[in-house]
Amino acid sequence: MTATLTDRYIWAVQRSLPEAQRDDIDRELRGTIADTIDAKLESGLGSAEAERATIAELGDPYRLAAGYADRPLVLIGPDLFPSYIRLLKLLYAIVLPCAAGGVTLALLLSRPESVGAVMGPLWATILGVTVHLGFWVTLLFALIERGPKKDRASIGEWSPENLPDVPQRGDVKLSDAIGSVVFLVTMFGLVLWQQFWPVVTADDGTPLPLLNEGLWSLWLPVLFGIALVEIAFAVLVWRFGRWTVPLAVVNAVLAIAAAAVLVWLFVTDQVVNPAWAQQLGLSGLVAPGGVLAVIGAFAATGIALWDIIDGVIKTVRARRP
Amino acid sequence: MDERTDEIEAGHLQELRRGTVVLACLLILRTPDYGYALLERLAAAGIATDGNTLYPLLRRLEKQELVTSEWNTDEARPRKFYRTSPAGEQLAARLLRDWNDLTRSLHDIDEGDHR
Repeated sequence: MTATLTDRYIWAVQRSLPEAQRDDIDRELRGTIADTIDAKLESGLGSAEAERATIAELGDPYRLAAGYADRPLVLIGPDLFPSYIRLLKLLYAIVLPCAAGGVTLALLLSRPESVGAVMGPLWATILGVTVHLGFWVTLLFALIERGPKKDRASIGEWSPENLPDVPQRGDVKLSDAIGSVVFLVTMFGLVLWQQFWPVVTADDGTPLPLLNEGLWSLWLPVLFGIALVEIAFAVLVWRFGRWTVPLAVVNAVLAIAAAAVLVWLFVTDQVVNPAWAQQLGLSGLVAPGGVLAVIGAFAATGIALWDIIDGVIKTVRARRP
Repeated sequence: MDERTDEIEAGHLQELRRGTVVLACLLILRTPDYGYALLERLAAAGIATDGNTLYPLLRRLEKQELVTSEWNTDEARPRKFYRTSPAGEQLAARLLRDWNDLTRSLHDIDEGDHR
């Protein structure tokens, strides 16, 4: 004998109800369905049709059971949703760049044979981190949604103090200009210091500078030149008062120029004085294609990228009405 | 009237009527009744609601001790009868007072008597 529509419906409702409620709801729902069918029969419907219409009116059994059990019909409700989205955005903004940067650095250190050997694992990492982060944060919030209401309220809480600052539209902060000037002058000072007051000396007492002395003939002056232009540029931006597209372009060109020189010097192992490394027993570190080359090139690229993106963000902000 | 206007109107009407089902149930169940009969009485009173809203609602009111229930097995078909509890009666009085106040306020506003 096949089960009637009513039996099937009641079974479907019960299935997702807590044990304690089952029998009582079974009994009441059965009576209610029978009452409804009777009323439809009286109005002239056939018995099969009346049963079908009654079940159709009651609708999705999962929905009805959720009503009985007071269960939410949403994964993450309106109490929690703003906190959920905020946390997810924040985590993606922090974790994704860190993971991507870390993996790239590790891959470069393992001396990959081609660009593809870096890009493949890098994409896999980005995809994996994106999926995992999304899944676990969503799961956590879905569980809180189903927990005590008190927890939900405290996590969803918001106060006026949480408001972010309005981005200073177009205003270039003096501290930005001072920051880049101080950074560049410090770098300049460090280069002079290692050349004229070296810490390491050879066995015969000859001072050994850290940087390759051959750099003084061309590349250090070039870098100093770029640094001077950067200083002038930082002051110019501050005097101008706001970031514009041409300024962002100049900023990007300067960053790329400095990074290109540094990366090339690191990759071709021209940065460190071999005699200095030998004296300290660090020759392996500065060997061709060694750790220092990769880290140096990586850091130079990273700083340039950050500098370019910073300029673009500030320009976009300044253009916003 | 186009389809979109109808839809907007239906949405607002539903929003406005949402809380009235609880109040109507508490008032009607001063005389005990079972699920389907209550649905019919509500419909007859002009407060249309669906079974899949009403039946879980009755359970919720029972859990909040605003109605009490009792199985009646005298007839062939056993039925669960609900009745408004003293707490339910109190709440109904409070809700009804609020409803009347709102009606008066809306009427005053409509007449242009803002004070």
